[in-house]
Amino acid sequence: MIYSNHLTFQYEKKGNLFSFPNITLNEQENLLILGKSGIGKTTLLHLLAGLLKPTEGNVIINDTDLHKLSNNQLDKFRGENIGLVFQKKHAIGSLNVLQNLQTRLYFSKKKVKNTAIEDLLKQLDLYDFKHSKVTALSEGQLQRLGIASAVIHEPQVILADEPTSSLDDENCDIVMKLLIEQAERTKANLIVITHDYRVKSCFQNHIIL
Amino acid sequence: MNLWKISIQNIKSKPLYTVLSVVILALSIILLLGIQQLKNSFEYQMENNLGDIDMVIGAKGSPLQLVLASILHLDNPTGNISYHDAKKASKNPLIKLAIPISYGDNYKGFRIVGTTKAFPNLYHAEIEQGLPFENPMEVVLGSTVAEQLGLKIGDKFLSSHGLAENTEDIHDDELTVVGILKPTQKVIDRLIITSLQSIWDVHDHDTHNDGTHGKHDEHEHEDDHVHHNENNHVDDHLDEDKEITSLLVSFRSPTAFLTLPRKINQQTNMQAAMPKFELNRLYEFTGVGFKTISIIAYLILIISGIIMFTSLYKMVKERTFDLAILRTYGASHFQLIKIVAYEGFTIALAAFAIGFVFVKVGFKYVFKVMDASDKVYMLQELPHQEVLQVGLLVFIITAVSVLLAIYPILKMNISTILSHEK
Repeated sequence: MIYSNHLTFQYEKKGNLFSFPNITLNEQENLLILGKSGIGKTTLLHLLAGLLKPTEGNVIINDTDLHKLSNNQLDKFRGENIGLVFQKKHAIGSLNVLQNLQTRLYFSKKKVKNTAIEDLLKQLDLYDFKHSKVTALSEGQLQRLGIASAVIHEPQVILADEPTSSLDDENCDIVMKLLIEQAERTKANLIVITHDYRVKSCFQNHIIL
Repeated sequence: MNLWKISIQNIKSKPLYTVLSVVILALSIILLLGIQQLKNSFEYQMENNLGDIDMVIGAKGSPLQLVLASILHLDNPTGNISYHDAKKASKNPLIKLAIPISYGDNYKGFRIVGTTKAFPNLYHAEIEQGLPFENPMEVVLGSTVAEQLGLKIGDKFLSSHGLAENTEDIHDDELTVVGILKPTQKVIDRLIITSLQSIWDVHDHDTHNDGTHGKHDEHEHEDDHVHHNENNHVDDHLDEDKEITSLLVSFRSPTAFLTLPRKINQQTNMQAAMPKFELNRLYEFTGVGFKTISIIAYLILIISGIIMFTSLYKMVKERTFDLAILRTYGASHFQLIKIVAYEGFTIALAAFAIGFVFVKVGFKYVFKVMDASDKVYMLQELPHQEVLQVGLLVFIITAVSVLLAIYPILKMNISTILSHEK
């Protein structure tokens, strides 16, 4: 469950003040946030992930107010409860596919059996590449690895930032299907922030910024 | 997966930078440890070989040369002195022990020293096999000589003229091995010891065989065959006619240091040299060289520190997005700093291990090769204190490099990095 109340954010003291609508998502509910470039979509996603501290308002995930946590507590909470998906590269370049997922699990402090990792890699069609360096992966494989990294630790919330913007229609459908499937599998809330209206049909709830 | 493994993978993904950092750092460590080991070996070797010798009496010339030649057997002697004059000088009550030595021949490059049976006592050398020499033409071998030449008790050999190995000027008189000394790690290990009479007899005999030989030798080997009797009246065995190379003296009282050398230098045609004083002078000369190499080593260490910092800083800057991703995974600032620190210290540890092993093993190999021709140096163990000092220095340089390199992590704004990466 994730709630946000009266979130506002200002990058500089005299800069634009971003105000965001309240978000209320109950267990296993998904949300699409649509908006044009520069409207503050990524800022909102970073506020929800605790990467930015709001000027006003708060974000509550499973009864925990993110912005009341200390920096260390916030790092720990993010590691355990939030999965982030980005538009482009989303992996540690010096590690291979398997090591990337193991690294994600290491920081989340969650124990996951190797079979579960392998099952996930099979689902995302990455099993044959588990020992490949990420530099050897295609864009599509990288995107799938990004999704795997965001869900391997079974987070409470999956936040995806423009996950389909650079993809063609076919791959856009595949990625959205994967995200929704993984959110269902891990019983997480999925919030996708994008300017890509093609994905609107995948969600029952949406907000336009 | 853990922080160490991530660091190792990061190191492996940048092999060129890693190898460069390790090689440069290892080079400076080799130089720093190596120079210390050489210096210690050199000084230990010098002082160890002094034994109980407080003064050397020899022919006039360079006092340092006299010490190097008579005690360390490194140089050519300054000339000969009269055995009679030497014995007279040795009767001074301030002298506890005076041992004459005479040399100028060698066997396969190992010097043959004519002396008395007390000579091994100066180096606390003991017989391992056989007996001390009793009669002329009997020799006792230092342990290195016996080992390297494979000589045994009862073996006979012919000495050759001069201090360097040669096959042209071989003496006719056979020398017989009667004893082998235990290893002492001192210069005596590399000497062949016999009686003074053996030396005199060998050369008397040569002079008998060839009446012109003595004069000829003196002309050709003026420097390296100084024990040769200049007098052609070789049948005259009176001490007055005999010559030795030098007299090694041990004092009974410290007051002898103040009076005896001056007395000998002023009142005789001989020279008295103080080994400790001369060696201190030598250290002053060699110290400049050691200091210069040390400065170069420190400069290389600083350069290697800069290279390590550059490498780590570049890694942090190039992997900003990776590090930001790790932060989204839940990694704290401190964990990211640990990853960088582990990389730095892994490189430093590898370099230190390579440097240390090279100095320990590589130098031994180099000295082993050198030994075959030089027969002088014996490598000392590297002092633990020096190793710790260099290790501490490397640790500090690495810590400073890491501290400077992590600055971008401390200033990292994950949101900005992730936004720009889009």
